[in-house]
Amino acid sequence: MRELIHQAFQLKELLLLTGLGLIALLAEIFNFRKLLFPIILLGLAGVIATCVLDWKSPDGDRFFFSNMLNVNHYALGFTIVIALVSIFWFLMSEKYFTDETNLTDHFALVLFALVGAFLMVSYSNLVMLFLGIETLSIPLYVLVGSKKNDLASNESAFKYFLMGAFASGFLLFGITLIYGVSGSFDLVQIAAYVSKNPGAIPPLFYAGGLLMLVGMSFKVSAAPFHFWAPDVYQGAPTVITAFMATVVKTAAFGAFFRLFWVAFNQAGAEWSHIMWVMAAATLLIGNITAVFQRSVKRMLAYSSIAHAGFMFIAILAMSKTSGSAILYYACAYSLSSLTAFLVLYLLMQNRAGDDSIDSFNGLVKKNPLLAGSMTIALLSLSGIPPLAGFFAKYFIFVSAINQGFYWLVGIAILGSLIGVYYYFKIIIAMFFRSDSDNGPVTIPSDQKALLFVLSLLILILGLLPGVIINLL
Amino acid sequence: MNKTVVDFVWLIPLFPLLGYLITGLLNRKLSKNLAGLVACSALAASFIVALLIFLEENHTRASHTVVLFDWISSGNFHANFSFLVDPLSSIFLMIITGVGFLIHVYSTGYMKDDDGFRRFFSYLNLFIFFMLLLVLGDNYLIMFVGWEGVGLCSYLLIGFWFKNQAYNDAARKAFIMNRIGDLGFLLGIILIFSTFGSITFSEVFKQASGFGSNNTIIVGITLLLFVGAMGKSAQIPLYTWLPDAMAGPTPVSALIHAATMVTAGIYMIARSNVLYSLAPISMEVVAVIGLITALFAASIGIFQNDIKKVLAYSTVSQLGYMFLGLGVGAYTGAVFHVATHAFFKALLFLGSGSVIHAMSGEQDIRRMGGLKKYLPITHATFLIGTIAISGLPPLAGFFSKDEILAHAFGHNKFFWILGIVGSLMTCFYMFRLYYLTFHGKFRGTHDQEHHLHESPNSMTIPLIILAGLAIVGGFMGIPDVFMKDSHWLSHFLSPVVGPSYSGLSESQELTLMMISVALLIIVILATRNIFVTRGAIPAEEDVEISPIKKVVYNKYYVDEIYAATITKPLNWLSHQFNHIVESKLIDGIVNGIGTTVNKASNALRYVQTGHIGFYLFAMVLSIVLMLFVKFF
Repeated sequence: MRELIHQAFQLKELLLLTGLGLIALLAEIFNFRKLLFPIILLGLAGVIATCVLDWKSPDGDRFFFSNMLNVNHYALGFTIVIALVSIFWFLMSEKYFTDETNLTDHFALVLFALVGAFLMVSYSNLVMLFLGIETLSIPLYVLVGSKKNDLASNESAFKYFLMGAFASGFLLFGITLIYGVSGSFDLVQIAAYVSKNPGAIPPLFYAGGLLMLVGMSFKVSAAPFHFWAPDVYQGAPTVITAFMATVVKTAAFGAFFRLFWVAFNQAGAEWSHIMWVMAAATLLIGNITAVFQRSVKRMLAYSSIAHAGFMFIAILAMSKTSGSAILYYACAYSLSSLTAFLVLYLLMQNRAGDDSIDSFNGLVKKNPLLAGSMTIALLSLSGIPPLAGFFAKYFIFVSAINQGFYWLVGIAILGSLIGVYYYFKIIIAMFFRSDSDNGPVTIPSDQKALLFVLSLLILILGLLPGVIINLL
Repeated sequence: MNKTVVDFVWLIPLFPLLGYLITGLLNRKLSKNLAGLVACSALAASFIVALLIFLEENHTRASHTVVLFDWISSGNFHANFSFLVDPLSSIFLMIITGVGFLIHVYSTGYMKDDDGFRRFFSYLNLFIFFMLLLVLGDNYLIMFVGWEGVGLCSYLLIGFWFKNQAYNDAARKAFIMNRIGDLGFLLGIILIFSTFGSITFSEVFKQASGFGSNNTIIVGITLLLFVGAMGKSAQIPLYTWLPDAMAGPTPVSALIHAATMVTAGIYMIARSNVLYSLAPISMEVVAVIGLITALFAASIGIFQNDIKKVLAYSTVSQLGYMFLGLGVGAYTGAVFHVATHAFFKALLFLGSGSVIHAMSGEQDIRRMGGLKKYLPITHATFLIGTIAISGLPPLAGFFSKDEILAHAFGHNKFFWILGIVGSLMTCFYMFRLYYLTFHGKFRGTHDQEHHLHESPNSMTIPLIILAGLAIVGGFMGIPDVFMKDSHWLSHFLSPVVGPSYSGLSESQELTLMMISVALLIIVILATRNIFVTRGAIPAEEDVEISPIKKVVYNKYYVDEIYAATITKPLNWLSHQFNHIVESKLIDGIVNGIGTTVNKASNALRYVQTGHIGFYLFAMVLSIVLMLFVKFF
């Protein structure tokens, strides 16, 4: 017991996140709601700081709680990105929570979801993976439905929950089968089992792997398990959608990659053709369906599916550099996507909730900052140099080409071309369409600063990709 | 390791960059005065740092590499973002920040009433930033970034008054001509990388010493780099953009198209002197092109009537001299001439700006005359500039030009003779310009005469400082003939470009000097006789002139020849491509793809029914399929 407590204090990131969640709950009881927001920001900054302090080169395994967690550089890197994006997300969505819902409860839910995210990127045991996913997902089901009087919000919460439960079932089934064959939940042990029994692995193991693949693909919204995403993304309150598309997706890919990198590294070839088809399908379905959308929110949902396809390639084309490629992609994509959602959110506030492309008409004349940030975000999402999104795709393509996935890269490039088409629809609307009778667009000054910082970060990340890519 | 001032070299480009961001982003929110102040103080701050570094370098003459960060690392290609501080770059830093500062100050007066005042200063600051990158980079790639950046700023500033279509065309012409040169430069860099596996100067030069003289690859590299220099430094055949570039505001002509950017080519070749010394063939090419350009442009200058056009052709011609110097191995002489030329040509351009300012925008010297009494300071400083550029001792131009010519004589006596001819032409057109502008009777309209006034202090003070520099600037390189071991510049630059030795005996050198000075004085007297005593005025456009004069007056019809041989066929070709390949073939394919994607999108949309039952069914079906594929 003493040892456990000692370890808990060693693992300050987890301690801080959990503590923040508890503080958020206490804020309601002890009535210090106003203080809560600054505390959360400080706490998240503290998480980043502890990650930096724990960063000891060279990279090494740092096991906690009897090998349940392994907080190595990979975990720290993902935690930093998650915490950073969360800070921006909190800055973006404070207003939504103060105005429209109960602040403290929902902040606590988000913070517990972050605890789950941390577990997902640092687990070393399938139990922890499942625990992390559930800790992340359950608060999300509630958050998606947090607009209690909005039918769409309720519907999507229900859809998400029902399908999420289904996917969790498959994941658990998969874990059980793997355990049944290999006799362990531990990632390292599973990998050891695979390499010790070449050619003598029973098919049940592969069935288990496939079922886990299904479960993880659901979480990252890869085709054909993506059906929930457009509906849920559109129905959820915009800020929650932003959270799901950025933080949650980053954590899910962190977990996904870790599973296949550590546990299934040797066994991966067995289902690589299936993953190939899934990656291609995700890229094509995401990008092609996005083209016809008139609602920008729904378009961004499909774009989020498409980007999952890109990161999926890195998991398929596994190599030493894939980890940092995924981390960079997640970071670039999250920042760009968050900026796009922020612009959309601010614009919807001025347009009585209208999120159609037409509401972007002539935005550049009304609010150049909003239009400028949106342009940077969209250019980055479509992968135009020198913005972050370009190098994100570049690194993924390089690792895929090195592994010989030429056709898949071809499909991915086709996908990004289609992506350019629908992202530019918004840019064209902002710059070249004359504006209809819509009124002026005003945004609070703190959000202006946030937009500016985010756009700058997208640019800096693109100019200095080495900052992240050389981390792992 | 102790940090010295050299480690803070990154401050030098940082200040103008900040200046650019502040004036560019805040734009209308800044008052004009504040914008001017920000831009000027950015330059002043850079100048102070540059001065400290220069003093340090003067002391140590050492070469420092200041690594800022790891820039690009891809496969076996690697480039640091790092700066190289050595005597050569430090002297360029001084010229850019020093002359740049003076021109910034001048512009606060010159552009005072312009609507684009803030935009102008943001561009100027940005230009200085890129120019500093160009000379500070420790590898060809950073140099290339700076090279492209100054090209962009030059484009923006030539077309600064973008409401005038002719100015836009001039800007575009400059951009396109430079593009041709840039392509050569880029190919040169690529060839350097593929040969040496590196683009860092020190590494490339170290490895290059292993190659023999006139090795094909080195010759190829040096010639490609020279193509780049031809574009940026306006040499035949890519010079035609520079005279047109005079469409920009006059301070721009002074800063970019006389003192700094156009000397980038000289800097690049001086920097690569190790490579050029290994390729005598390329050096011969450089010398010959430089010499032809010097003569050709000087001859055009003789018949021009636009005050800025004369100076523009003069710049092209002087740049030719610098290339002649590089080609005959007088690296020090070329850099020396860059420095003195920056002083007196900036002075002349700014002086012409002051004249144009006084004449309410008139640039034709046939409408001027007798300005001496109205613009006393401008007149005095302009005269100093004129003497300096003509090469009369003891003003700056004499020393630098003499050094180049002495080397040319040592290399090939014929080069020297042509060089002298060019220098006599220079003397002629400059004094012609001077006499027509400042002497005789005023030939403008009554209105103009009424408005004549000396420029404000913000414009005259930079003129006076530059005039001072044009007088004393030459003393940084006094030849041995006059005083033993007093060639400070040669001593200073020797770690980078090696010792400078013309191979002439002292008596030879002295004789050459005396011949050239004597000839110059004769030309000046003759010019005075024609334009002051006899009061000749160049003919108006509609007067018949002799055919030869007409050819020269029309700049040898080079623009027309280019239009007929290159532009027209290209236009025809692109017209064909547009009508056949583009609109029939490519549009068909592109639109076809677009329609297909749209149709697919429309169809796929309906799969997303919104029914949870269907979603779950699709999920289960997929899993069954996956298991089926895996196990059967």
